[in-house]
Parts: sequence; structure tokens; C-alpha cells
Amino acid sequence: MSLLSLDGVSRVYATRRGLFGRPVPVRAVDHVSFSVAPGRTLGIVGESGCGKSTTGRVALGIERPSEGHVMFEGAPMPAPGTPGWRHMRARLQLVHQDPLGAMDRRLTVAAQVEEPLEIHGIGDKTERRDRVAALLRDVGLRADLAQRHPHELSGGQRQRAVLARALATDPALLVADEPVSALDVSIQAQVINMLTDLQEARGIAMLFISHDLKVVRQISHEVAVMYLGRVVEQGDPEAIFADPLHPYSRALVSAIPVPGPRRIERVVLTGDPPNPADRPSGCAFHPRCPVAVAACAQVVPELRHAADGRLVACHLVPEASLLKAA
Amino acid sequence: MPTPLITIRDLRVSFHGLPALRGIDLDVAPGEAVGLVGESGCGKSVTWLAALGLLPRTATVTGSVRLGDRELLGAPPSTLDRVRGGRIAMIFQDPATALNPVKRVGVQVAEALRLHRDLHGGAADAEVLRLFDQVGIPDARRRVHIYPHEMSGGQNQRVMIAMALAGQPELLVADEPTTALDATIQAQILDLLRRLQQETGMALVLISHDLGVVAEMCRRVCVMYAGRIIEQAPSDALFAHPRHPYTTGLLAALPDMVGPKRRLEAIPGGVPEPWNMPPGCAFAPRCAHATAACDAAIPGFVPTGPEHVAACIHVESLAMVPA
Repeated sequence: MSLLSLDGVSRVYATRRGLFGRPVPVRAVDHVSFSVAPGRTLGIVGESGCGKSTTGRVALGIERPSEGHVMFEGAPMPAPGTPGWRHMRARLQLVHQDPLGAMDRRLTVAAQVEEPLEIHGIGDKTERRDRVAALLRDVGLRADLAQRHPHELSGGQRQRAVLARALATDPALLVADEPVSALDVSIQAQVINMLTDLQEARGIAMLFISHDLKVVRQISHEVAVMYLGRVVEQGDPEAIFADPLHPYSRALVSAIPVPGPRRIERVVLTGDPPNPADRPSGCAFHPRCPVAVAACAQVVPELRHAADGRLVACHLVPEASLLKAA
Repeated sequence: MPTPLITIRDLRVSFHGLPALRGIDLDVAPGEAVGLVGESGCGKSVTWLAALGLLPRTATVTGSVRLGDRELLGAPPSTLDRVRGGRIAMIFQDPATALNPVKRVGVQVAEALRLHRDLHGGAADAEVLRLFDQVGIPDARRRVHIYPHEMSGGQNQRVMIAMALAGQPELLVADEPTTALDATIQAQILDLLRRLQQETGMALVLISHDLGVVAEMCRRVCVMYAGRIIEQAPSDALFAHPRHPYTTGLLAALPDMVGPKRRLEAIPGGVPEPWNMPPGCAFAPRCAHATAACDAAIPGFVPTGPEHVAACIHVESLAMVPA
């Protein structure tokens, strides 16, 4: 059974063009559906403005979907700010890119890790103190760092402290939005290993949002590639990164610089990613797509099962059922 | 190696008495592409800011940086003004802050042409258009009149590159030029830099934390750690047969795009603080192969292959251990 599921979720914002312009609807997330099972990781990849962070916020219930439904542990996500939602927030935690911004600079590490326990009324004073010590040990922070303030820690240590705080309420789901992007390679590896170990030990599910395909491959059981608010390809990370079927995934995967010979010929896209407020008709990728045909400008491609079971939203990728019929 | 374009010898920088750069020796030949890789604070950017006299006065800089037969360290401002943007140009990570937000982009490129090539009026305008075309800005005739905030990050970086090319430099120093950009835009900018290098014959120094970017762009790579170069080799050799334990560690810590999935081998600990530098090899406290001898002195380069050197006293015995 899935822990979290999004069903046809869209998030629409209104922006104005210029000071006196008419409000224009911007579909930051457009008809996104997926589910995450307990103990599994779904990676969401895409470039700036593709809606991956908004998807994470909707999954956390911080934002209400404009259309569609979010289900968590078998029940609809309560509206943000309600007692039901606050209660649920103990089960759903967020870790994002900038640990310094996520911490209170005036509080010690120990005080910050203890705070969620106080808020959710977990344990008495002694139990809480023991729990904080155990959490810091779990994320690999030395006991003497507990009394330090955020600015006295390195970037990697801060991210560990933020993780300890997120784990304090024993969440079932962690939404991690670019959690290692600000860290150096050698520290990044430490944090990635820690995340996979914690997942194994505690059975936490993760929604892992990142622009870094290598990190997503390392950590995810399933991956969704987003472009301009929609999922364009979804499935097994090995299959998608070795042989992407959607032309955008293909360009994205081929753009990643790697030491040594490359397996997929580089596709250099022309033009910039379009503005979500000015979404191209049909398939949003068609103006940059090297293989687009006339239909791409008119009809929005739906996500369909391709031959190996993954989901692809492209008119040019044959649908599995059609292949079988032929 | 042909006569170097730029020769750096024993370059040292410290801020308030704390060392940031602890003796850099580096040559760049005309037309070659050299990569400098390393993690935050290793000194890869400071090296070039020091070489071009761009560090604040609180920095103490010693050693020698020669461009041809001219010494740049301590050179008068008038000399440096001709070199910077003229013979050596530099581009940075964040084009949006490097550009002037209240001036049209065309005017900013024209200013570089006036300062470095004495081009004015119609001649300058024509050259701005040519440069915009060269760096692949579409609809150049209209784009020269817009402001940086009206362009995307990728287009702003193209404007920066156009401005860098304005002085017809012999060397372009690109400091994390694609780090702030999305993957598909990064691919475009790297493609552009490669093409420009071929067209103009300028040398390229690419500073990056991304080993993949450097592997693709550079023939030769220097790996830096705690203010020193610790390994130097042709790219192919470095990525196929890294010899310094830090380089080996960096590559093992990097997730792969293909091949079997393996647990990442993280390097334990963190980089040493400038006020707490180990006496010998700066990597020794994190190194699995370290012995007491590593603390005795800062290790010099040991040749380990054609044009391949590593600053590790154990490099020969480590070569015996199968990777």
C-alpha cells in the first residue's frame, strides 16, 4: 500500500505581468500523479521552474492542490493550519538545501532538535534529553557539538543537525529538497550514505527532489523527470538514466558531464527553458525538441506505459498496448 | 611544453596571517585548456584573484606571477588595467551580479571595447553585434538594448563571455562558469567555450568543483587541496589512474551515472581549518594510508607517469595495491 499518493494534482498561482497587468494563471504543477511506498524513495529531477519543489510542498500539505487529491496514510491530507494537519506534520518532515536558513541561529543544536518533541508533546524532560542524544548519534554528530550554535558548525554538520531534528518525531515520510546540493563532494557522500542507512534502519519513505541526476540515481528506487510542471517520464532509475525515452530526459541525461567516455550522444538543446507563465501549446517541450512533429504543438501527450513498463509522455514513444497489438 | 603564457611560482596568499594558498607552481601554455578542481576553500579561485591583483588589501600575497616576461605581482595599476580584460579575462559563477543591473547589456560590452581596443561609435556597435553573434545570443540587434534582468541566467553568462572576448584575451579564466546554470544550459555554455577556444586560440583555465565538467573540457587537470596542488596530470590519466589518495577519494565519493550501483566511499572528516593546518601533508588526518612520515614535511611532487605528478610520499607503494 502506498504511504503518500498524489492523484491528478495541479497547483496554479496567479501572477501579474507588470505593475498593473491582468492576473495570469501559472500552472506550477500540472496533473501530477504518483505514489510513494513505505521505505522507498521517489526521486524527482528537473531544471529550475519545473515544479519539483512545489510538488514537494503540496506533498507535505504546506500548499493545497488547486486540482486533484493528496492522500497520506490512507486519509486525505488535511488543510494547512488545521489541528489535523499539525498532528500529521509529525509524520511528514522537510529537509531543504540551506541548513543555516532552516535553523534558528540563537538556539543550540540540542535545543533545536528538542523543539519538535516539545511541540508535539513527546516524552518528559529526561526522555527528551535522551532522545536528542540518540538522534545526534544516529546522524553522526559528536556529543560535544550539541551545545554549539549553527554558525559554529560546518555545512555538513549543519545538514546532519537539520536531519536529526526532522527525524525527532519519527516521521514516515521525509521530503528532501536538494539536501546535499550545497555540500562538497566528499561531505555529500557522507550525507547520502547516512540517508540510505537511516532509511534502511527506520523504514522511512523519501521524496528526494534534486537537479543532480547522479545523486538521484544513487538514492532513488523510482524516478520522475519533470518539465514545466508535468512528469514527462517515470520509472526505474537504471532504465531511465541508461536509456531515456522522452526527448527531454534524453537531453537532460546526455547533458551531465562525466569523466570518461559517454554512453549517450550529447543532445544540446537550443533555447532556454520557457516561462511557466507562457506555456507552449501541446507538449510544453515541443519548441526545444529536436524530434517534434506537427501534432506536438497541438495535443498534450499523456503519460502512458512504454514497452518496459515505465511511463512516458511523448507522442513519438509507442505505447506498450499498441506494440503488443501489432 | 612550449614557452608558457603564464608562469606562477610559489604563490602564497594569507588573510590576517591565516594561509589560504600555500605555494602554487603552475604554467599555462598558449591555447591550452587547464582545469583546477577541488572543494570549497581549497584556493582554486584565490589563485587567480591573487594573480590578477583582485584580492582585498587584507590579503598578503607573495611569490611570482609572470605573463610572458612581465611580473604581475606588485605591478602598477596601469599595467594591471591593461592586462585584466585585455590579455587575461575572467568570468564568474553568477553573471547576474557581475553585470551592471542598470545599464543595457550592449553598452556594457561596448565599454570593454572602448577600454581595451579603443573602439568607439559605429565601429564599437558593429563589434558588439558581432560578439553577440559569436557567443550565440539570438536576435542580437534587439538584445543589445535590454537589461540583465530581462535575460535568463544562460543568456547573461553569454553576455559575460562576449564582454570577456571584447579585449581579445590570450587567456580566459572561467571560475565555475556553469555552476549556477541548469544542466541543459550548462551543456550549451560548455559547448560555446570549447568552440570559442578553437576559433580564437585563447588558453582556458577552468575552475570547477565538478570533476565531470573539467574532464570534458580540459586536456590537463590540477587537483587542489588546502591551498596546494596535490596532483597534476592529463585528464584521461587522472580519471583513469588517480594516484594521490585525495583524488582517489574524490572520485570514489562521486556517484556514477552508469554501471553497477555501489555504496559511496565517503572521505571521513573535513578539510583542515587554516588555523589548524597539519605540519606535513594536509590530507594526512583524513587519509587511510597516512603514516608518521606524512607529518614530517609537506610532500613534494613525485613523478608517476607522463606529465603526471602527485604530492604524496606513499605514491609508489600505493601503486602496488590493486584499486
